[in-house]
Amino acid sequence: MTRAFTPYILILPSFLLAAAIVLWPVEEIVSLATHDVNRFGMLRDFVGLANFRSLLADPDFWTSLWRTLIWTAGVVLGTLIVSMPIALILNEDFYGRGLARILIMLPWAVSLAMTAVVWRWALNGESGMLNSALRDLGLMDHNIQWLAQASTAFPMQILIGVLVSIPFTVTIFLGGLSSVPDDLYDAAAIEGAGRWDQFRLITFPLLRPFINIAFVLNTIYVFNSFPIIWATTQGGPANSTDILVTYLYKLGFRVGRLGDAAAVSLIMFAILLAFTILYVRLAMREEAAA
Amino acid sequence: MNRRKLLRSLLLWALLSPIVVAILFPYAVMIITAFKAPTEVHNPTWWPSEWRWRNFPEMWQTSGFAPALANSLYVSGMTTLGAVIVSIPAAYALSRFRFLGRGAFSQFLLVSQMLSPIVLVIGLFRLVANLGMIDNLSTLVVIYAAFNIAFCVWMLQSYFSTISRDLEEAAWLEGAGRFRTLVVVFLPLAAPAIAVTAIFAFIGAWNEFVIALTMLRREENYTLPIRVFSLVAGRYTVDWQYVMAAAFAASVPVAALFAWLQRYLVRGLALGAVK
Repeated sequence: MTRAFTPYILILPSFLLAAAIVLWPVEEIVSLATHDVNRFGMLRDFVGLANFRSLLADPDFWTSLWRTLIWTAGVVLGTLIVSMPIALILNEDFYGRGLARILIMLPWAVSLAMTAVVWRWALNGESGMLNSALRDLGLMDHNIQWLAQASTAFPMQILIGVLVSIPFTVTIFLGGLSSVPDDLYDAAAIEGAGRWDQFRLITFPLLRPFINIAFVLNTIYVFNSFPIIWATTQGGPANSTDILVTYLYKLGFRVGRLGDAAAVSLIMFAILLAFTILYVRLAMREEAAA
Repeated sequence: MNRRKLLRSLLLWALLSPIVVAILFPYAVMIITAFKAPTEVHNPTWWPSEWRWRNFPEMWQTSGFAPALANSLYVSGMTTLGAVIVSIPAAYALSRFRFLGRGAFSQFLLVSQMLSPIVLVIGLFRLVANLGMIDNLSTLVVIYAAFNIAFCVWMLQSYFSTISRDLEEAAWLEGAGRFRTLVVVFLPLAAPAIAVTAIFAFIGAWNEFVIALTMLRREENYTLPIRVFSLVAGRYTVDWQYVMAAAFAASVPVAALFAWLQRYLVRGLALGAVK
């Protein structure tokens, strides 16, 4: 065994395992998406893009796609905006910081499905504790059936999405903040820069790569996020809170339109890939310009 | 105690309090409900009139918690072992060698994160069905291990890069082979990083939902998240005190582990992801 082969042998097991589980299903999905498939998964004739056409003719697909964009933008932007001040606070030296970090990180440790099941109970119309808490605070005078209609269920799901995405995002930001050297702030303070100027001129530019990575990874995770919506409303009532992943799951495992479900998978992957490539390009151009 | 710091602490806690309340709210609901008497559950009071510890043994008997716990332990343990064993050499290669295809391999890992289990679920189900492996816990192990590789490699690589090469080079000069050096010199130094990575892989597998929901059929094979979900989904009457007791019992050990280890994540994940 020569030296040159060593790294390839080292990465081989992980590559083979990841490739088998990731690439093989992709091949399955491509063949499902391009064939006429019966509801038991038997492949019949090759039909080219017919599954995509039937999908694009389905109004539920378009509403789910649109809702997915709102869901992703709402959760990701909400998370980034809330996480930045939290990370700045947790980076300060104060009493109880260790405890504060643990409390903020808590949702990361609990299964999303279980958090969502708990929320489903907390949002219950008659017995839910959110209603009673809001009434006790004098914020409303009658119970709301939060999950009974999309106009209240979907914003709540976005809120839950933000709360469970904060830990990961704060973690990335804290990692970034720990890499900012303290003497930069000392120098800025001597120059007479106030707190806001320090943030604007030092912290924010140095955090840019970390904000970028948090934005890209959160977008990928949230776009693909299934448990929150599934465990609270299963996309209901009447499919009014479906996003692409729940729509895909219903097509595949409830309605038995496997070919269409596979087509949704491919469209989702294409959207994610386009987003990532576009974003990496933009971020790189920005870096080159800076 | 320094007065200035005390004032600043009070101010910062006041700023954090809205978000802390929002984050803790569902878990407070979970704990309070878990201890309420069945007659009191549908009454949304904040303090149970009686803290009913008996909910837990009753939940244990009625909800099938014990087999789900055993399944979750088995699946998460085996996943961790598998993911870490294949990720250590890969992370070592990425942190110690410059080779053609190094960048391509990193990108492949990123793509494997983009192709999440849910996007692939139709294809995975077909693949598993063709192999006759539906409703089999080992199927979950293989799938979870594969999807954990990217995370494990990133975490390990960022730690491995911080371990000085001097000791390894000294061992080579002493005539130890590359493999022997790896086992005797490098791995002991990397042990804490490996332990932390392993525990995060464990937590990820412990909490996974969609693949387990799709691949598991019989109740005796359910893992904990599916068990808890099945106590709620598609039922007309839900014993919420047992559901919350089960969710609580399933979450506490992992949350405690996580609380203990979360500071290691800050360093490992942030540095690994940006590089």
